[in-house]
Amino acid sequence: MSTLSVIARREIRLALRNRGVLITAFVFAIWFPVMTAVGIAAAAGGDAAAVSGGIAAITLPVGVFMGYIFCSDAFLREKRDGTIETLLCAPVSLQRLWEGKALGVVVPAYLTTLLAAAVSIGAASALAEAPVAADPLLLLHLAAVVPVWIAAAAGLIGAAQLALGMRENQILGFAFIFGFIFLIGGLQAVISGGSGVSATAEAVLMAVGLALLALARFIAGKVTKERIVRTIP
Amino acid sequence: MSAVEVRGLSRSFDGREILRDVSFTVGHGEVFGYLGPNGAGKTTTIRILLGLLAPGAGEVRVLGRDLASDDDARARVGVLFDNNGLADRMSAADNLAYYAGLYGVEDPAERIDELLALVDLADRRDDPVGTFSTGMKRKLGIARAILHRPEVVFLDEPSSGLDPGAQRMVRDLILELSRREEMTVFLNSHHLDEVQRICSTVAILAGGRIRAFDTVANLTSASGRPAVTVSLADPGDRARACETVGRLPFVAGCDADGGALHCTLADPGATPDLVAALVGANIRIEEVRRSSRSLEEIYLEHVGRAEGGA
Repeated sequence: MSTLSVIARREIRLALRNRGVLITAFVFAIWFPVMTAVGIAAAAGGDAAAVSGGIAAITLPVGVFMGYIFCSDAFLREKRDGTIETLLCAPVSLQRLWEGKALGVVVPAYLTTLLAAAVSIGAASALAEAPVAADPLLLLHLAAVVPVWIAAAAGLIGAAQLALGMRENQILGFAFIFGFIFLIGGLQAVISGGSGVSATAEAVLMAVGLALLALARFIAGKVTKERIVRTIP
Repeated sequence: MSAVEVRGLSRSFDGREILRDVSFTVGHGEVFGYLGPNGAGKTTTIRILLGLLAPGAGEVRVLGRDLASDDDARARVGVLFDNNGLADRMSAADNLAYYAGLYGVEDPAERIDELLALVDLADRRDDPVGTFSTGMKRKLGIARAILHRPEVVFLDEPSSGLDPGAQRMVRDLILELSRREEMTVFLNSHHLDEVQRICSTVAILAGGRIRAFDTVANLTSASGRPAVTVSLADPGDRARACETVGRLPFVAGCDADGGALHCTLADPGATPDLVAALVGANIRIEEVRRSSRSLEEIYLEHVGRAEGGA
């Protein structure tokens, strides 16, 4: 078994045993889609394409937020506990450690985002009386664009959590939550426009997601062991 | 080639010099004690040796390699920090299995069973580590550190936060491991009694510099003047014995404590003359023994000098 999968499997196991993180993720995966589905249904009326567009619009921030939730367990907890120092002494490069942890975040974050998407689709379809599950662009969005964005978010947040001190990480957390609230406001404006999922928008989102993933990899490559060790509380 | 080599190591943090021209070596199979007060730079030295921090100046080698850039060499080294490196939500066996995967341990199940039995945690193998006591976690941490049969193991304050019983257990475990697994042990500690019992060589770090570096035997026997403790058969002879000893030119000092005299000699070969003088004064002697200073006395002397700016 490769060290990448050893690290990723451990992070997934730890996430599944963290009741606090799981409860937060599940509450968010159900509460947020149901609340937004009401808005989507009201804005779209009986237009299935508009409902698809609304669902596609909310799954990205949900995925990114799930990435943040699971990163707090995989990266920040390890640093707060100081156990990262022992891991840094293992015969594994820092880059590989970051990749393994990010992968371990992506899997549960993606699964809970799919749960959120399923709840959204069910709630919006019921309220708008317009079934949307068969929209191929929405399926493409969920299968390709969303995981790339989650991976980019996990990579960026993870690298930042490794590099920053605890106080900076607290500020990052507040900034992330406020940014998320701001994003929801922006999305509600998009949703109320009633536009559907377009191939062009998906292509742009995919390109941006891949660019963010590359940026995350670049930033992670700049983080040093010394930086991590000196910011352990 | 030594197991650990440190040459002219210096390091500063935010303009404050933590280590200044530190040099020492640790031979293969030695149990080495690295002593110093809090904030002396012991953990910084270990972190530099492990490649977690860069040296400001000088050179460090473990098994002849630079661990900062050599993954293969890191696979030959084990480490135990204060936090034990364990995940509380995973079981003892899962924690060891994780590190076995990272270090590429062959036949991990057998090795994990062997180590859990060695540290007396076989019956708790499937329990979450979060339910363990501090001593149990430390034992599991030691098992984790030696899981991959390292040639050198760094133990950073392995007894800190443990009760005396657990400290003894950890001490016995380290000794057994160094014998059984024939590994070099680099012990960072300020438990002087522990170090004196298990280490063959020590270095005392204070004020960022190495103040002493020698075998424990040499440090405790060669430091200062030779001393002799004379136990009197009759404690009532104490005053007369002090008076007799005080007149001897080769005795530099004498303290009485109950029925015993602690004499510091100006001449290392003067013990028979001391005994003869006491017997000549009709003082009955029960026991005479050469006394050596404890590592604690030597440590406090060096640290005191460093703090005094000597």
